[in-house]
Amino acid sequence: MNVSDPTATTHGAAQIVDRGFQRYDGKRAGVVQAVWSVAWQSIRATLGLGRPARHKIFPVLAVAIAYVPAIVFVGVAALFNDILDPSEVADYPGYYAFITAAILLFAGLVAPEVLVGDRRNGMLALYLSTPLHRGTYLVAKGLAVVLTLALVTLGPPLLVLIGYTFENAGPDGIGNWMVVLLRIFISAFAVSGALTAISMAASSITDRRAFASIGVVLLALASPAVASALVDGAELTPNWRLIDVFSMPFELVYRVFGEPGNFPELSTLNVGLVNLAWVVGGLAVVAWRYSRLVVSR
Amino acid sequence: MRERNQPEDGGGSSVRRIRTNQHECHTETVPAIIETSGLVMEFPSTRALDALDLSVPPGVTGLVGANGAGKTTLISLALGLLKPTSGSITVLGLDPSVNGPELRARIGYGPERNVLPDDMRAYDFVRHFAQIKGLPRDEARSRASDSLYLVGLGEERFRALGTMSTGQRQRVKLAQAIAADPAFIVLDEPTDGLDPVQRDEMLAIIVDVNRKFGIDVMLSSHVLEEVERICDHVVALDAGRLVAHGSMAELAGASGGVEVELVDLADRPQSVDAVETALLQGGFEVRRVDFTIGVSGRDDAELFDAVTAAVATAGARIRRLGSRRRTLDDVFTADIASSARGRQS
Repeated sequence: MNVSDPTATTHGAAQIVDRGFQRYDGKRAGVVQAVWSVAWQSIRATLGLGRPARHKIFPVLAVAIAYVPAIVFVGVAALFNDILDPSEVADYPGYYAFITAAILLFAGLVAPEVLVGDRRNGMLALYLSTPLHRGTYLVAKGLAVVLTLALVTLGPPLLVLIGYTFENAGPDGIGNWMVVLLRIFISAFAVSGALTAISMAASSITDRRAFASIGVVLLALASPAVASALVDGAELTPNWRLIDVFSMPFELVYRVFGEPGNFPELSTLNVGLVNLAWVVGGLAVVAWRYSRLVVSR
Repeated sequence: MRERNQPEDGGGSSVRRIRTNQHECHTETVPAIIETSGLVMEFPSTRALDALDLSVPPGVTGLVGANGAGKTTLISLALGLLKPTSGSITVLGLDPSVNGPELRARIGYGPERNVLPDDMRAYDFVRHFAQIKGLPRDEARSRASDSLYLVGLGEERFRALGTMSTGQRQRVKLAQAIAADPAFIVLDEPTDGLDPVQRDEMLAIIVDVNRKFGIDVMLSSHVLEEVERICDHVVALDAGRLVAHGSMAELAGASGGVEVELVDLADRPQSVDAVETALLQGGFEVRRVDFTIGVSGRDDAELFDAVTAAVATAGARIRRLGSRRRTLDDVFTADIASSARGRQS
């Protein structure tokens, strides 16, 4: 309800008008807003925001697993800073070793939640009846997955950096601090990007959310075992290690921080290329699947 | 606010009377909402649309046809969800396959399927889609509420969609379709699953959306009675072909001939047969259901004379005699039958 003509001062001249539904001829935003709107809504749905409590349990659990070590490390730095070098407890690339379970669970959960449901319940057709087309829709969904995964890949190392900084155990000087910050961002989005592409590819292949989740987890668990069997068991060239889809993003993190990592026999170039290949390959599968999808109402 | 409009030509545009104030009127030519030319859509196993030439004028248009007639395909092509195999389609003057995003920002769509996410609140759902269609955040919020009030869900707008009845969910879909203030909305079976009271309310809202706010509507339905009740124009499809197309006034509502109901006389059991035979021999079109005979093919006065003469000759007795209004059902049945004969030949 609006009061019309607020400048009216004559006694009895004011009137209450029921505005209600009216035509709109104001500005309209373009596709960018549509992409962000879909991405944000997907993030909210995945994290259980605005949904009943049961939908919040798993995301909260995964986020807790990811952040608890960071909180512990910062706490250790605060309590024992004078007798312990915090970087010896956990350095930034090494931190991911503590939270691989959380990242894996999140990767297995997020993309299937974000992609599969829309195909099954008809929301995809509704989205494609808006200014979005398949490409922009997938960009929105990819953004949602990357940003949600960043919650567990970016947040905890950032927390460690900020905590260490406050405890005077962070990088020396603003220049070094910015370099570490940049490396954290690159690492987090490298891990998120690779896992996003793989999990979106799995989610585009099946219309069953559970199958997609299991597929992602199985791929992540089986590929290290296969790689290990080929290199350590069959004594093939160490480059076969590159098929380890789950370890390579984390190996890249070590290289970003200039450390040899867990597989020093692999060149940084190869590690970088194989991660890029997973991203490109995963997204190509998604694009191929959605280009062939017949969507009608 | 614009008046109900009727097409006055069969081409790609319509003449619409616009009332600018109480005394002044002017006319302007407005483009067709949907226009197709030789539109063909083939799937690997079937031809869903076959050389469809169509011009849908502004107003409320009913899209009718049996399952598999091509309604879904036409809607999907209009929304740019599919690309035609050949031919062309324009919606609001734009080609969906070229100007898809721009066009879809101006179209609202209420799907038939139950696509509403159970966990989401009605308000959030409507606001979300208003934002996707380009409304600024604050405007999307207020218009989500306004739309839900318009469809009668103002007090229920913060309820989870999963807790809503079928009727309420249908209204949410309509609110979602209109929230971003489209020029044109496509509603797919909007009364599906509704009881008669809910159906009447939904149809009244749809009429309001067009009459009060000037939003053109295409309503896909298989319930001919409701299409006849609220639509200005009809597009009837059968097996991918256009079988009827025009204003409701042209297609239905005209005289459908004369209908006579005769009494079942125990002493003259053949009298009804005799009336039917006499009318058939007179060259009239005759439809008989039990003791009711519908006669058409000439003007009403001639039909009345012929019926009364036949009844008198046969010694039958009339229970009821009167003119019959042609319904959309008659049109549809006749045109579908004609289309089927055409395909067979």
